[in-house]
Amino acid sequence: MNINGIGTVFTRGRGIENFEEALIEGWVPPFQQSYSMLPDKSLPVYRVNKEYIVDKKLLKKTRRADKFSKMAVLAACDAVADSGLGADEIESAGIILSTAFGPHATTFRFLDDIMDYGDDGVSPTLFSNSVHNAAASYISSVLNIHGPTLTLTQFKSSFHQALILAELWIKQKRCNNVLVGSVDESGDVMQYICAKKLETAKDGKIRPFRFAPVSPAVPGEGAVFFLVSKQDRYKEYCTILSVTTGSSLINETTPDMYILDANGMGGDETGYLKFASSGAIITGYAPVFGSMLTGSAFNCAAGALMLKKQIKYKSPVQDNPHSVNLCLKTEPADIDDIICLNNTCNGQTGAISLLRNVDELFSR
Amino acid sequence: MNIAITGIGIISAAGKGINETLATFRSSAANTGQVSIFHTDLSYPVFEVKNFSSSSLQKNSQRTIRLAMAAAGEAAAEAGLADNLSPYRVGVCLGTTVASQLNDIEFYQKYRSTGTGPPEPVNRYLNGNLAEAVAQKFKANGPSVTVVNACSSGADAIGLAAAWIESGLCDIALAGGADELNRVPFCGFGSLGILSDSVCKPFDRERSGLNLGEGAGILVLETEDSARDRGVEPLLFLSGYGSAGDAYHITAPHPEGSGLKAAIKSALDDAGINSGDIDFVNAHGTGTKENDKVEGSTLLKIFGPELKFYSSKGFTGHTLGAAGGLEAAFTAIALKYGWIPASPGFQSIDNQIAISPITKITPVKGNFALSTSLAFGGTNAALVISLG
Repeated sequence: MNINGIGTVFTRGRGIENFEEALIEGWVPPFQQSYSMLPDKSLPVYRVNKEYIVDKKLLKKTRRADKFSKMAVLAACDAVADSGLGADEIESAGIILSTAFGPHATTFRFLDDIMDYGDDGVSPTLFSNSVHNAAASYISSVLNIHGPTLTLTQFKSSFHQALILAELWIKQKRCNNVLVGSVDESGDVMQYICAKKLETAKDGKIRPFRFAPVSPAVPGEGAVFFLVSKQDRYKEYCTILSVTTGSSLINETTPDMYILDANGMGGDETGYLKFASSGAIITGYAPVFGSMLTGSAFNCAAGALMLKKQIKYKSPVQDNPHSVNLCLKTEPADIDDIICLNNTCNGQTGAISLLRNVDELFSR
Repeated sequence: MNIAITGIGIISAAGKGINETLATFRSSAANTGQVSIFHTDLSYPVFEVKNFSSSSLQKNSQRTIRLAMAAAGEAAAEAGLADNLSPYRVGVCLGTTVASQLNDIEFYQKYRSTGTGPPEPVNRYLNGNLAEAVAQKFKANGPSVTVVNACSSGADAIGLAAAWIESGLCDIALAGGADELNRVPFCGFGSLGILSDSVCKPFDRERSGLNLGEGAGILVLETEDSARDRGVEPLLFLSGYGSAGDAYHITAPHPEGSGLKAAIKSALDDAGINSGDIDFVNAHGTGTKENDKVEGSTLLKIFGPELKFYSSKGFTGHTLGAAGGLEAAFTAIALKYGWIPASPGFQSIDNQIAISPITKITPVKGNFALSTSLAFGGTNAALVISLG
């Protein structure tokens, strides 16, 4: 399965070009977001500004959609545009949206309605948008996609499960192309929960290479979509060689590079050290987009970009207490394969193995 | 596709387990009443699971998870599997709506008034991903995914689990759906104006909306080899799955049923059969004006006027994320026992649909049956189930 198009919406803007610029720029401080209920208290957060999710042309059909759905629609549309596939080619595509928390901010707005106006005074629009699969519905409607459509939610490895399913759909010939991605938002209540449950980074820096039982987090939000296909296409980024999840550690040849999902949100990060000590180039881009349980999708986008452009992007935060082979500088590089690693606190490992365009490899 | 169905677990207002459910189907009783498990100002009838107790270990779990555990336990037992599935390669794929959301009103009320909320509801939510919780309970070591495709979640979860088994990701899967009655969707459906203030009448000319219900329907799916290796001779099979989107509207179905047609065609193709091979259909049939009009007309176009079909919503209410799992189970049970129940609530034909569901218990002799699911967001799913 190949990645032929990528769309992103994140704290520094929209589109894969913006994402690449952010990778080159490196770390920037997050916003200090005050809690709506406790204005004197604040938390560092990588939020998506409203101005990034305004697109009158694309959002005509989603004017009633919430932020969660708008981020999803824009990322999905940009992935299709990036792929160069025409409307006729994507009409039968599949859609798989993965999320950890879904449109929870809308759910809480709906609860506001219940409390403020009573059980019979609530907004039907808010309710419709609070349903987890609303975002996928908007995507299918805006892009006129009639293929199989699925939304799945997991706290662990949800993006990995979505990729596995995309590959199965292609293998089963249910569709030739699949729009597969992840979306999560960081609403007021979720920030409160993060502050209660996690060690938040007071200086705004996620430190992916601390490999500690508890690491600092900076909640983030955004959407990433990939247009994945069986066919080879001119503009392809890379091949997804395999996606694995499970309790047994992956047993593969050491790749040129590991991208680590460590971001302070998945619990104990000591398990990453085993891979980080392998001698491969080590990096992790959570400090660019924030801590998310679906952050694997952003790191996968970074990996695909590096394989396409043959550039390695510097690690945005370079604290390196274990002296691993950290990627310290953005520069051209000869990279054939990358493994994006997600290690959850219960010992489960998710691995997305990306391979440089096979044609390119053989033509060298 | 030919995946063995070796276990079935069901719990709904129609009964706990297959025997109670069949008794309800024979009696055509509608177990409706007012909501008793949460406070609400609304007075629409619902289908609650009554006298539901679960083990003390599960007391702090969400009701949805407890319903799922009950159904999964029954399914595993029927399949001849113990509660500990660790010796096998088992995946868990379950659909839901309520269990995916942190929609605890008590927590939010406290948070809104003080800026801080009690930790228990948050912990319950963070430990309450449906598939992850069931996988943990049954020590299932394969993939686990919670599908949140609104009202087709259960059917889509079964389709996804079948894909895992076909590809060799696991040999056995617990698949289906579960959902509890909950104040939040109750208010939401009320706001959409699609709750009926009387017992629902799927496909009837005078239908006035749906009744919400709750429950869980879970199948044990496995490869034929896996079943036979365990000494189980499979009788029922999942033979086809299809899914397609309307790309039309966030809540209303496409007026021509384009997504449903495509989903049914895909499921029939998957099974390698024609529409004429289908003996009966367990329809989604919610009792709303739009769903039943689109679904009934589509079934008529594909299967013709002689089709035997029914909606089980008059026994269970609309159980949302559980519906696809429960109805797949009902379809399988009907094939096994050779009869389908009357479609409760139906009295008079709607000329806009021009096809009637069956009105009395009807024998069935065919080998293939279809279960359909239509969901918010325009997702449609169809499952072909067969008798070996």
